[in-house]
Amino acid sequence: MIEIEKAPPFATVQDQGWRTGRAIGLPQSGAMDPLMLGLANSLVGNPAGAAGIEWALGAGTLSTREQCELVVLGAGGVLVDRVPADPGHPVLGVPAGTRLEIWPRPGHRFLYVAVRGGIDVPQVMGSRSTYLPGGFGGFEGRRLKSGDRLPIGPALHSGLGGNVHPRITPDPSDGDVTLRVAPGPQWERFDDRARETLLESRFTVSAASDRMGYRLDGPSITPGSSATLPSEAACMGAIQIPDGGQPIVIMPDGPTVGGYPKLAVIFGADLRLLAQCLPGRGVRLSYSD
Amino acid sequence: MTSPAVSILPLGRCAWMLVLGDKVSRPLHHRVTELASRISAARLPGLVEIVPAYATVTVFFEGNAGEMRARLDAICHHEQSEVISPEGCGHPERSEGTESRLHTIPVRYDGPDLQSVANQTGLPVAEVIRQHSEPEYLVYLLGFVPGFAYLGDLHPSLVLPRRSSPRTRVPAGSVAIAGAQTAVYPLTTPGGWHLLGSTPLKLFDPERDPAAMLRAGDRVRFEPVR
Repeated sequence: MIEIEKAPPFATVQDQGWRTGRAIGLPQSGAMDPLMLGLANSLVGNPAGAAGIEWALGAGTLSTREQCELVVLGAGGVLVDRVPADPGHPVLGVPAGTRLEIWPRPGHRFLYVAVRGGIDVPQVMGSRSTYLPGGFGGFEGRRLKSGDRLPIGPALHSGLGGNVHPRITPDPSDGDVTLRVAPGPQWERFDDRARETLLESRFTVSAASDRMGYRLDGPSITPGSSATLPSEAACMGAIQIPDGGQPIVIMPDGPTVGGYPKLAVIFGADLRLLAQCLPGRGVRLSYSD
Repeated sequence: MTSPAVSILPLGRCAWMLVLGDKVSRPLHHRVTELASRISAARLPGLVEIVPAYATVTVFFEGNAGEMRARLDAICHHEQSEVISPEGCGHPERSEGTESRLHTIPVRYDGPDLQSVANQTGLPVAEVIRQHSEPEYLVYLLGFVPGFAYLGDLHPSLVLPRRSSPRTRVPAGSVAIAGAQTAVYPLTTPGGWHLLGSTPLKLFDPERDPAAMLRAGDRVRFEPVR
């Protein structure tokens, strides 16, 4: 058992989400930075699909109710019973009753806590992810709050061990983030100017961004003849252009269908880089088909 | 009668979107569900999921995009060269688990917007109920939240724009209308549709298998109950 002694502003239980379900309107959901969660799982010997804690936007405190082996990846720092943890040895074997104070890394949105055995909330349709818009999955279908106690599952393997280079958690440097995009279904229906605006401009991540979608502030893109369509499938990373011309990128909890034209789609492997951006961070898009 | 060409468009690198038209109509949707079931029956290697919508079938896949496109091309070409049965004159072959089912959903017509819909349409409440519960609706697609099925077509006299201010909380089971569509809210969510009534049926239950009661191509009747 791990207790959330003092919850950060936003934390949920997540795994790699639902592989299928779009045909019934179920989005993929899961970790915003699935690579970092998968890496955290590997470090404690879990399968990549095990559930961990996705932690965002502030500091908080966990305490262990049993002896466990855990890892905190992507944090600004961790105090283990008030002693700073060595960022080069993020895997911590700790006894019951250990307090961990965790805070985010400046300029990054999400960090992950994985524990050997995984967070053992019930599976819903094959995933332990929390889907907040529907209020199901994860821990009681909701954000974690102070006092919650999360069960730990049985361990399958031993972990990779503690010697991890601090740079092993790949993340964007402090500058603008460049994301690769491939054409969306309406790519040809936009005019040259719209496509140029998308690919030549610098956008910034809007404050109106969450697990469902990130808005990009910047020059407006004219939808032109591509204005609203009969709803059709969407996907994670799709860049929708609503009538106002301000792009919205669909994130893991975002809709599975929609009527806004989709000019381009961010590569799946690059979407985590956008997910980690805080409001105001610069974003550039580069074409790659 | 041959069907018009299908265009195949990319949805990034993980899905191909097959576009059969750009309108909302039953005959077009029949082609959508027929094509979706034929792709399903083909058991394509690398296929992840097929998402039918109003006028498109989107095929999510893993692996080589070019190979998947070639396979889809072959299936669509087959559709073009094939004689399509006019609506109602035949039952296109469907793969197992994709046949159209008829559901009857009991509705208690006591929704908070029933009177305002009557006022806006100029119809008596009893007539609103009659017109809403009369047709056999088609499930065009699911989306918005899991299990939310867009049903059409609504009687033309009930067509209204969405509410000017959406509710922050619409209870699960609410039966609602907006535009030419009607739906049952499967989960308690925000919503901008006009609420006519409610049903005790659970259109989505993550603990049930299948979790969603309806799927695209199914038909629905609403039965007024007290």
